[in-house]
Amino acid sequence: MKADRSMISSFIKPIMESLIAVAIGVLIGAIVLKFSGYSPIKAYVALVKGAVGSAYGWSMTLSAATPIILTALTFAISARTGIFNIGAEGTVYFGAIAAIVFTNMFANPIWGLIGGIMAGILWALPAALLKVYRGVHEVISTIMLNWIAFFTALYLVLGPLANPNDPNKTLEVPASARLPLLMRGSELSLAFIIAIAAAIITYYILWHTVLGFELRASGYNERAARYGGINPKKAIIWSFLIGGIMSGIAGATEVMGRPPSYAISQGMANIYGYGFDGIGVSLVGRNHPIGIIFSGIFFGALKAGATYMQIDAGVPLEMVKVVQGIIVVAVAVPGLWDLVKKVVRR
Amino acid sequence: MEEVPIIEMKGIVKIYPDGTKALKGVDFSVKKGEIHGLLGENGAGKTTLMKILSGMLPPTEGKIYVNGREVRFKSPADALANGIGMVHQHFTLVEVFDALHNIILGMEGHGLFSKIDVDKARAKLQKLMDELNFQVPLEVPVETLPVGVQQRIEILKVLYRNVDVLILDEPTAVLTPIEVKELFDVLRKLKEQGKTIIFISHKLREVMEITDRVTVLRKGEVIGTVNTNEATPQLLARMMVGRDVVLRIQKPPKEPGEPILRVENLWVKGDRGEDAVKGLSFEVRAGEIFGIAGVEGNGQTELIEAITGLRKIEKGRVILNGKDITGRPPKELYNLGVAHIPEDRTHMGLILDMTVAENSILGLHWNAKFTGALNSIKWNTVKAYAQELIEKFEIVAPGVDAPVKSLSGGNQQKLIVAREVSKNPELIVASQPTRGVDVASTEYIRNYLVKLRNENKAVLLVSADLDEVLQLSDRMAIMYEGQFVGIVKPEEVTEEQIGLMMGGIKDES
Amino acid sequence: MKKSVLALFLIGVLAFSVVASGCIGGEKTTTPQTTEEKPQYAGKIAIVYDVGGRGDLSFNDMAYLGASRAAKDFNLELKEVQSKQESDYLPNLRTLAQSGEYTIIIAVGFMMTDAIKQVADEFPNQKFAIIDGYVPDKPNVMSILFKENEGSALVGALAGLIAANDGKDKVGAVLGIEIPVLYKFEGGYRFGVAWAEDYYKKKTGKDVDIQVLYTYTGSFTDPAKGKTAAQAQLGQGAWVIYQIAGAVGLGVFDAVGEYLQSQGKEFGPPFAIGVDSAQDWIKPGVIIASMMKRVDVGVYKAVEAAVKGTFKGGIVELGLADGGVGVSTIDDVKAMFNSLPEDVKKKKLEELGFKSEDELFAKLEETRKQVPDWIWQAVDELKQKILSGEIVVPKAMNKEQIEAIRNAKSWQEMEELAKQWESSS
Repeated sequence: MKADRSMISSFIKPIMESLIAVAIGVLIGAIVLKFSGYSPIKAYVALVKGAVGSAYGWSMTLSAATPIILTALTFAISARTGIFNIGAEGTVYFGAIAAIVFTNMFANPIWGLIGGIMAGILWALPAALLKVYRGVHEVISTIMLNWIAFFTALYLVLGPLANPNDPNKTLEVPASARLPLLMRGSELSLAFIIAIAAAIITYYILWHTVLGFELRASGYNERAARYGGINPKKAIIWSFLIGGIMSGIAGATEVMGRPPSYAISQGMANIYGYGFDGIGVSLVGRNHPIGIIFSGIFFGALKAGATYMQIDAGVPLEMVKVVQGIIVVAVAVPGLWDLVKKVVRR
Repeated sequence: MEEVPIIEMKGIVKIYPDGTKALKGVDFSVKKGEIHGLLGENGAGKTTLMKILSGMLPPTEGKIYVNGREVRFKSPADALANGIGMVHQHFTLVEVFDALHNIILGMEGHGLFSKIDVDKARAKLQKLMDELNFQVPLEVPVETLPVGVQQRIEILKVLYRNVDVLILDEPTAVLTPIEVKELFDVLRKLKEQGKTIIFISHKLREVMEITDRVTVLRKGEVIGTVNTNEATPQLLARMMVGRDVVLRIQKPPKEPGEPILRVENLWVKGDRGEDAVKGLSFEVRAGEIFGIAGVEGNGQTELIEAITGLRKIEKGRVILNGKDITGRPPKELYNLGVAHIPEDRTHMGLILDMTVAENSILGLHWNAKFTGALNSIKWNTVKAYAQELIEKFEIVAPGVDAPVKSLSGGNQQKLIVAREVSKNPELIVASQPTRGVDVASTEYIRNYLVKLRNENKAVLLVSADLDEVLQLSDRMAIMYEGQFVGIVKPEEVTEEQIGLMMGGIKDES
Repeated sequence: MKKSVLALFLIGVLAFSVVASGCIGGEKTTTPQTTEEKPQYAGKIAIVYDVGGRGDLSFNDMAYLGASRAAKDFNLELKEVQSKQESDYLPNLRTLAQSGEYTIIIAVGFMMTDAIKQVADEFPNQKFAIIDGYVPDKPNVMSILFKENEGSALVGALAGLIAANDGKDKVGAVLGIEIPVLYKFEGGYRFGVAWAEDYYKKKTGKDVDIQVLYTYTGSFTDPAKGKTAAQAQLGQGAWVIYQIAGAVGLGVFDAVGEYLQSQGKEFGPPFAIGVDSAQDWIKPGVIIASMMKRVDVGVYKAVEAAVKGTFKGGIVELGLADGGVGVSTIDDVKAMFNSLPEDVKKKKLEELGFKSEDELFAKLEETRKQVPDWIWQAVDELKQKILSGEIVVPKAMNKEQIEAIRNAKSWQEMEELAKQWESSS
């Protein structure tokens, strides 16, 4: 059929673009390494070996990918609805807090996830309602809500939820409410499976349900959506809510299924930054849930490989960061390009 | 005495990149110190001609002479240097700047650090305003000023650049009657000072009132130039709309049935908050095509959007089959049997980035026919349905999974028509259904609208194409400034009468 | 066309800023010398820094100082590993432990406590040490803690006496994220200020009531926050400001420095007080002294124990008596400054506008002379009393305890609290 060719090319094109971008990034990174006096080959071998060269490497890669896949879904579903929701960061905090509270009340992982989901919904609502009823731009509101979340969470972590036995963190998720590890002596837990499932569900919602149709229609063209009997306000609220759920789950699984802490560290050190990483993951994955699975694993591999690049290849962390930054920027350019074009066109 | 015209355009041809032939060899000349009207319907080529004269567009062919000297404009700056400036229909002001800075914008000098001599500019402007007896506040952000004042700023902006020939594109379209009167006073004053003015309009009364001579354009050609004092509105109207009928649509006589749509005293505001629809009442009956003609921008868009639930209704009622549907959302209207072919297919009727299949169910995607468990969409059913539409309506598309933007304009429009009429509606609201559509598709769509009427549906047709309204309508209204100048039967009026009504004049005879 | 140029430009700017920030980050901490030519090779040790990383001119750099000195003394190869974020701790430690090559692995920072516990269980034959982390019950983990409350009491006394002597009634503290570790600092500082009030009254007969302004900035990394907080405190009349906030403190120094500049003064008061390392050299004339937390001493002791076979799991707490904390002396500053790589030293001197190190140290001497001798002697007197056990400095470990100290009226009252807490724990 004629249609097949265009379908295949619409899948292949972004993949090819991304692969070329990776190659360019790797090349520039190699040049930088060379000029800084390190062996690019040794460094990249260590990176690959550390990330995917062993079962433990894989476990680090996949566990690092878990939270950022989820936060990327938050960004992606909103981007598909024409919204730039960068509130994943704050939602992660509350998801984690809710999971800690719920699992300490009911020592069962299901309750932890429910807590994360509820926190995600509740914390998505303010930005959604402000957008729909007051026309507050979501970038502004979500940035401010991130700060509100940060300081509120800081207070909760320090005060009501402080761990009486260890002042450096909150109450722990009880052993019976932790997500089982998929591999002994690793950080890889059921959380990864949950993240993959979430991506697949997001894909299904967006492309196989009436709701998803309405979200995407609103995202592409609000006027046409309105003409098509769709209420864009409703679409916006739904996209915030589903996105919130994803980040809420990210926070919950991070404390329920990521050794060693099973708690929130002081200053939120162990759950900080995933919301922002998610934006990059989503852009590289072209805001497509399936693309996000791969780009999330790619980002995870970069994180996991960083350890080996330091220890095996003796490349200092700063240089590792520079090289990884170059690769990430190169990979993000195609997605970013699309996004910028869209913004400029408005 | 043979006076050299200040402006002379000879054999101007303009073909746009998409192949549209906007001007087909136009000769146009303007005498120094006159107010010259340029009259014509939408798409007659008035604006294109003037954009060429003001250096915004290059002509495909033809020559331009200023004071007998041949010129070639590469940009509006070249035209300004030759004393020709244009005030556009859509203002080009920086809203947060005050009038003074808007007027001197672009004249600051070209160095990165050139100093702007604001005081000198202010003094020069004040002198200009005093001479014209025409004041605008110079220090207030223009966004806070009324439209009429903003327009004066636009005019001042051009005069400040020392032009001799001032082109005004539909200057009265956005003005209140009092503002129109004030504008005319200013134009007369400018004429006294020896300026030449080209006044683009489709409003007969205004053209009769203000101009010395009128050139009428129709479909890219000059029909003629007349002295205004020798012309009558009737003559101008005939020149403007007189035409050969290109297509013939077979339309058997039919007795209309019950009223399907009833509109009572409808008031709707436009995007800028002005009253766009002013107390309209009419009905559309089963088995009838009710056409609305008129120059675009007279409230048709707002009327249609209000009826189809896309725009807020300020006052009045819309009744469908005896049920009050005022202010109901589109989804509800569709479920009650309303179909809508919108005027803007690329921004409203279709989502260009989505596929043919996805677009084929826009506005009925919730229909039980296409949905399964958990509100999922049954894509196989949808694709089969889209394929069916493609075949039945002879739409040329690479496939149901191709993005709709890969279709030609005519086929995009056919897809919309196919989708809307396949809803089996009671009322079809068709707005500019054949605009930008090739001849074959146009005929197909027109015949389909007649077919629906023959099947006893109610059709509300809005079109800027007078032929279309004349041919298709059983009854037609001519809309002017938010109201109907009259409701007539096409076969009972002359083109001259319609032309007058489109220009806002009701012929009482 | 134009739009695509704009889009391209935006991407270019973005890409540049990312890469540039990476490069600047990379430039900040020049490559550490990981291996040194040694006649006899006695094995390897590893040190894992926390997210603050090398180049913080404080905590992590002090740890490096201790580790490198130990490596030199005992002929060891030193492997340094940095951490980008908290989730890196476990993989970093585990990867090192898996290799089995290291005599001891040192984790710098309390944030690695959970990771150390886990890895210690997984690798029972590997020796670990953690700085600032409380791990009392693992036979293969040496947990090195500091009595920051004691050191903070000394700089509190210094601050309080400088203010009292100039007839001022406010001193300040700018802190990082509100975590319990910082309560030890804040409590000790308050104790020192209260002790200064009493001392001053005894000496001059004048009653003084010095208020402690304190701000938790919510960050350890954003100097702008420290600057804003310090500016606010200066505006309220704070005469000496103690920074307990890592890199945020650099902003505190800036704020005090700019304030002095605006008054046309080369030297304080008002002064700032540094923390963790001898930070005095960072802004001569502005920083009167630093509360040193001798992380280097802790790291060195751990390595020494592992090499000499005296390693034992459990808590090692270093206070004034062990040289673990203290007020910086000029010699300390010299040692700290000389631990910087040569090129960094040269650059810093240039930035500060000195031709030579001697000029810098002369300026530091001069700074200290702004404070009368009797104040320095008083601080030393407090130190002796703490060492002898005559005075006990309270150690606030949680919100409740810090509140009790904040509400206490005198140092005696605070000491009473200290004794209560000690007997109950």
